[in-house]
Amino acid sequence: MLPFKLPPQILRLVLVAMAIVGSYFAARSFLVPPSFGEYGWYRGDALGEIASRTPVFAGKQACDECHSEILHKLAADKHKTLSCEGCHGVSREHSNNPDVLPVKATGSHCIRCHEANLARPAWLKQIVVKDHYGPKCTECHVPHQPSKTP
Amino acid sequence: MINEVTNLVVEALPQVQGYVYPNEANVHPVWSVLIVIYPYITGLVAGAFIMASLVRVFNVKALAPVYRLSMLTALAFLLCATLPLLCHLGHPERNYEVMMTPHMTSPMAIFGFVYAWYLMAVLLLELWFDFRQDFVRWSKTTPGFQGLIYRVLTLGVTDLSEKSVRLDMKMEWVLSIIGIPSAFLLHGYVGFIFGSIKANPWWGNVLMPIMFILSAIVSGIALCVFNYIVLSWIRRKAVDMRCLDAMAMFLFYALVVDAVIEGLDVFHRGFAAEEGFAVLQTMIREKLFYTLNIGQAGIGTLLPLVMLGSLQLLRKRVPEAARRTMIFFSGAMILFGVLMMRWNVVMGGQFFSKSFRGVMSYKTEFAGQEGWLLAAVIMCLPPIILTVLVKLFLSDSKELQPSEHLPEPSAKT
Ligand code: HEC
Ligand code: HEC
Ligand code: HEC
Ligand code: HEC
Repeated sequence: MLPFKLPPQILRLVLVAMAIVGSYFAARSFLVPPSFGEYGWYRGDALGEIASRTPVFAGKQACDECHSEILHKLAADKHKTLSCEGCHGVSREHSNNPDVLPVKATGSHCIRCHEANLARPAWLKQIVVKDHYGPKCTECHVPHQPSKTP
Repeated sequence: MINEVTNLVVEALPQVQGYVYPNEANVHPVWSVLIVIYPYITGLVAGAFIMASLVRVFNVKALAPVYRLSMLTALAFLLCATLPLLCHLGHPERNYEVMMTPHMTSPMAIFGFVYAWYLMAVLLLELWFDFRQDFVRWSKTTPGFQGLIYRVLTLGVTDLSEKSVRLDMKMEWVLSIIGIPSAFLLHGYVGFIFGSIKANPWWGNVLMPIMFILSAIVSGIALCVFNYIVLSWIRRKAVDMRCLDAMAMFLFYALVVDAVIEGLDVFHRGFAAEEGFAVLQTMIREKLFYTLNIGQAGIGTLLPLVMLGSLQLLRKRVPEAARRTMIFFSGAMILFGVLMMRWNVVMGGQFFSKSFRGVMSYKTEFAGQEGWLLAAVIMCLPPIILTVLVKLFLSDSKELQPSEHLPEPSAKT
């Protein structure tokens, strides 16, 4: 056998260490997800799982079918670069079934873009809401045609 | 969803001053209070271990009564060290995945190796060798479930001959020599994680690992002082003043070095006054005023320095009870101050914009996955584990001493 004898406590520790390492590799063989590392340091199946989720946004084109008038209005004014769902929220369900109404667009969401902030580009018109005329933006501004007044 | 985003902005905007990039403005610091207590806990582990090594490696006899207590303290805290990270990552139930697929190029992932090495190869082994004789003895005398635990812990080796005990002691000595650099590595690595972020002037700093290690030593010794006094108080046993004075002395020296290095860091930054210095000043003067100047520097450093320093000068003339109280309170204040230091490091680096021209703030939430309630619960776990360990392994105060048969001088050479 061995040319020299390991002291008993060291021998036990070596055995325990081997058992730990062994069970680690055994655990690895069934705990590592099968598709791991297929493309990179992640589960390959994750891509398929994410792609198979149902989208919630519809896109501007989808609204054209029923609200083309608003689309034209919007395209003619300063808010032309904005997407409808940027203000109205996810509306795929609504455009498939108009009975489901989109979330009510409240005035406070205008300040997401218009509240004064040094980091915003200067060409974007900004206000300090506290000092502006009032909190209900739509009383004085038409959201789809911001340069017009109602 | 749109309302959630809106509300986030409406709440976040008033908390922002100066020039903050839009994508920074609506998120509070990503590294929450959980990331504050994580380096705190690992620091306590490393510090407690280094103090215990003073007994083994440098043969400081006066500290022998706290050797085992500080080793078990290190173990109890190390067992909980990863909890804050797991909770912070959001899916604690998937924690094994990171161990099953270790990544070799991510500094964060390498932490798994550092941690495993320190826990398995250093701390547990050293404790096992130290307690082996006792395990064998207890396993013969203790009945029931507790006896079964001891029997399992002997790993079936009952050899208590002179030769094998001497081997135990030798192994322990070797292990604590490996252990000191490992403990430095464990906590130096935490400092490295911050110090290597060169885009962040509050963190990116080569002194960071050193400051982390020094504050770890300070907090670890303070924790051992604290635990020792509390344990003696619970057991209504007299505190060994020789041991306590020795701990206070080491605590004082460690604190002096720590304070000097941290002061040097401040001086260095002030003199170099690099690009981000203005925003660092804002941090010190406004955002972190209470936690840094009062918590870390005042309560955590200056007061204990004065108290411990005067004890060094007037040791003989201060009555024992007063000395004990002073040491106890310095320990408690240091523990608090180091927690503040971790807060200042972790939060300070996130309070200012990447533009260096604006600052944000952080409102700690109470409940929730990143709330301070969870942080408090995690901080309560190690003392509970420690209580169990002390009940199991240190039930008799004689056992506070390390096993005898320290390596004989002749055997060492
Ligand atoms: C299939 C036709 C159809 C499509 C496509 C459609 N809508 Fe509508 N939408 C309607 C009808 C019909 C109403 C009026 C419902 C009512 O008043 O009861 C309406 C109402 C609305 C309202 C007003 C809700 C309210 O609270 O009064 C909004 C906002 C709206 N749509 C947004 C959108 C957006 C944004 C899209 C594109 C993603 C879109 N719609 C696509 C048919 C459609
Ligand atoms: C700047 C944000 C904004 C954008 C972009 C926007 N809307 Fe609106 N929209 C509003 C607001 C605010 C109201 C509510 C007006 C009110 O309360 O008087 C509204 C109301 C509506 C209504 C209810 C009927 C009406 O005319 O008052 C429809 C339908 C509608 N929007 C569709 C659209 C479509 C389709 C688009 C994309 C072409 C779009 N919106 C783009 C903010 C916006
Ligand atoms: C997604 C960001 C966004 C939101 C939300 C938004 N706006 Fe605007 N708004 C813009 C941009 C971009 C411009 C400027 C376009 C330009 O000047 O080319 C603008 C311009 C304006 C102007 C100036 C028009 C002019 O004549 O120069 C007004 C007024 C205005 N918005 C009001 C509103 C109101 C009211 C709301 C809420 C219903 C709102 N905005 C919501 C992006 C936004
Ligand atoms: C009581 C009427 C009133 C209300 C309510 C109101 N505004 Fe205005 N707003 C005005 C008038 C008038 C102007 C143009 C004169 C000016 O710039 O002061 C204006 C100008 C603006 C401009 C362009 C600023 C510029 O620099 O040219 C923006 C952007 C704007 N408003 C956004 C909003 C938003 C967002 C809200 C809702 C929080 C809002 N307003 C509510 C009356 C109103």
